[in-house]
Amino acid sequence: MKNQDKVTKDKENTELKKQIEVLTNDWKRALADYQNLQRRYEKEKIEFAQYANGILVLKLLSTLDYLEKVQSYLKDDGLGLAIKEFKNVLSEEGLKEVEVLGKKFNPEEMEAIEKIDGEEDKVIEVISKGYRLKDKLIRPAKVKVSVIII
Amino acid sequence: MGKIIGIDLGTTNSCVAVMEGGSPKVIYSAEGRNVIPSVVDPVSHIVGDVAKRQVVVKPRSTIFSIKRLMGRKYKDESVQRDIKWLPYSIKEGRDGMAVVEVDGRTFTPQEISAMILQKIKADAESYLGGKVTQAVITVPAYFDDSQRQATKQAGEIAGLEVLRIINEPTASSLAYGLDKKNAHTIAVYDLGGGTFDISVLELGEGVYEVKATNGDTHLGGDDFDQVVLSYLAETFQKENGIDLRKDPQALQRLRDAAEKAKIELSSSKEAEINQPFITQGKDGNPLHLNMKLSRAKLEELVDDLIQKTIEPVKKCLADAKKEKKDIDEIVMVGGMTRMPKVYETVKNFFGKEPNRSVNPDEVVAVGAAIQGGVLGGEVKDVLLLDVTPLTLGIETLGSVATPLIPRNTTVPTSKSQVFSTAADNQTQVEVNVLQGERPMAADNKSLGRFVLDGIPPAPRGIPQIEVSFDIDANGILNVAAKDKATGRSQSVSIKGSTGLSKDEVEKMTKEAEVHASEDEEKKKLVEIRNLAENLVYTSEKTLKDAGDKVKPEDKKEVEEKVSAVREALKSEKAAEIEDKTKELSDVLQKVGAAMYQSSSAGQQTTADNQPPTGEQETKAEEPKAGEKVEEGEVVK
Repeated sequence: MKNQDKVTKDKENTELKKQIEVLTNDWKRALADYQNLQRRYEKEKIEFAQYANGILVLKLLSTLDYLEKVQSYLKDDGLGLAIKEFKNVLSEEGLKEVEVLGKKFNPEEMEAIEKIDGEEDKVIEVISKGYRLKDKLIRPAKVKVSVIII
Repeated sequence: MGKIIGIDLGTTNSCVAVMEGGSPKVIYSAEGRNVIPSVVDPVSHIVGDVAKRQVVVKPRSTIFSIKRLMGRKYKDESVQRDIKWLPYSIKEGRDGMAVVEVDGRTFTPQEISAMILQKIKADAESYLGGKVTQAVITVPAYFDDSQRQATKQAGEIAGLEVLRIINEPTASSLAYGLDKKNAHTIAVYDLGGGTFDISVLELGEGVYEVKATNGDTHLGGDDFDQVVLSYLAETFQKENGIDLRKDPQALQRLRDAAEKAKIELSSSKEAEINQPFITQGKDGNPLHLNMKLSRAKLEELVDDLIQKTIEPVKKCLADAKKEKKDIDEIVMVGGMTRMPKVYETVKNFFGKEPNRSVNPDEVVAVGAAIQGGVLGGEVKDVLLLDVTPLTLGIETLGSVATPLIPRNTTVPTSKSQVFSTAADNQTQVEVNVLQGERPMAADNKSLGRFVLDGIPPAPRGIPQIEVSFDIDANGILNVAAKDKATGRSQSVSIKGSTGLSKDEVEKMTKEAEVHASEDEEKKKLVEIRNLAENLVYTSEKTLKDAGDKVKPEDKKEVEEKVSAVREALKSEKAAEIEDKTKELSDVLQKVGAAMYQSSSAGQQTTADNQPPTGEQETKAEEPKAGEKVEEGEVVK
């Protein structure tokens, strides 16, 4: 009888130990997830503050493209000033144009739209300008690239 | 303990997700996108968005659609078909397998895919802040053993232990938790960037079995874009006599505009396409593209493409020996299923609402992550944490219900706040624990009440009584009140604070909505009364403390105004009480100012002449007969 009691007790013990192990595991996992979340939250908060304007600025860029395109035809002084002012506002927000003309084609900041015969991998025309917002590329430049066509 | 990531290794785009805190989360790429284009330059080791940007310049060394070659023999019919249109060079490799050749080097599809997986692994590691070594990868249901094996190898080359290869439709079903919903027969409609797949699955013994698959390996979003683009170009040509497609720059702008319009028309009825100075006319004058595209027109344009998906669906059902009515659930996958017309078509075909709440670009990866969670022991039967169905709080002065734990808070949770007494020399407070959404205590359910006594006599607002609510994982609510000065405490334990029946919760929530405005008025009246009573108290205290420093005529005026407020308080008219209170307040300020002028030291008026702005208060009951309930104050 006593023996049987012991057997049940032992069994119970093992069960409980197993349960503790499972629970500890779950708890650690939840804690780890939470800590990671905390860390990421801090990081994202900083990034958010830095790039919160990015989406809006990106949308405004197509308008800037149009204005510049119009200006290339009209060559109007007033419009020129207006564009300059618009660009000033954007650059105050940390917008910088990516300089690409004449450089070697680099897909990290440019997208090739067209290629023509010529020197190897050289940007010969900018179709739409690329921009960085506080060092982060928000729009790659669309470019025409010369390549050696064999 | 590393995380197991779930990867949707797609033909056009790939996506990765992971289980976090019991729910799947999509990991964004270093470029900040939820998907990574499945494009690789194997020689320069460039992957994803960056590789995609150089396709035009390096068409022969930028590999895309590699999934079409995975685990296939060079002589396979499908490979021979793909060779015709893929711009890079495809050769016969070892054992007759298809390989790609770039700059004289050969790469197996496994190696190319591994580079995509490496990028995914790196992005996941930077997100999770630790090593990632294990993954679940999805494949199309029609992949044979050799293709699955190749996918697994790709994972291994990338340094990932592939714990399981699962079918894409199975992953999608997992993402919707259909296994838990006991959905027996499921149809998964997957219209992605370049391929269309339809699968019928059957759930048996907790495992999904693919009964049949069908599809079109060359039908997807790209075709839809192409149709829109052609329409725009042709319309422009009719009007201006110029084919924009012949000008690469104009074509690029047109392509962007077409895709943008397509996306816009999923949510709005009409899209405007504006591209000023898109080209020059024959006379050298600039030409603009300015068109409107309606959703109806778009749907007319792509109707053929959508109809093309229906035939494979029918075949798939026939192969699975199922009829439309046998399908319990339909799952929508792939970006194109966002188009309302696609959704409508599928809905009309099956006569049932398809599932589409999960982002269709992410759903496969989400399902893979869930499978990963199951394998890692993270997801069991999914630990469902309870939430408090209704707000829990206590009753405060004027029978106002002051919330401590808002509804829908995940338990276990706890919250404590310090309250104070409302009357001088108040020696006990009563804590009435309330449940419900109504602002007035009486309209909510009282779960229990207790009295904390033995508070040392002190002016109102001085004692600090900490009230804490604690709900444990079993839904048992413990409420305790503790006097910080004496350490005396009282508590009550309430079972089943979360265990209301669904009907009860619904009823109480509904009531709260119905009575919202009337309740708000009641609460406002109480607040106004509290304010008035407080000012009366302060006024009398000020007069008493100041003694003969107050000019008799001022004193008389204050006393008159005090009785006026008292009179008004007998009524239930909020406006009147408010007016009288204001008058009293003005007079009192005048007296105060006069006192400061006359005496340098100045008598102190009590700091508590204004109740805090409707925040935490506790009801405190003065036990002596005749005294009414007075309010507590916050001690922050």
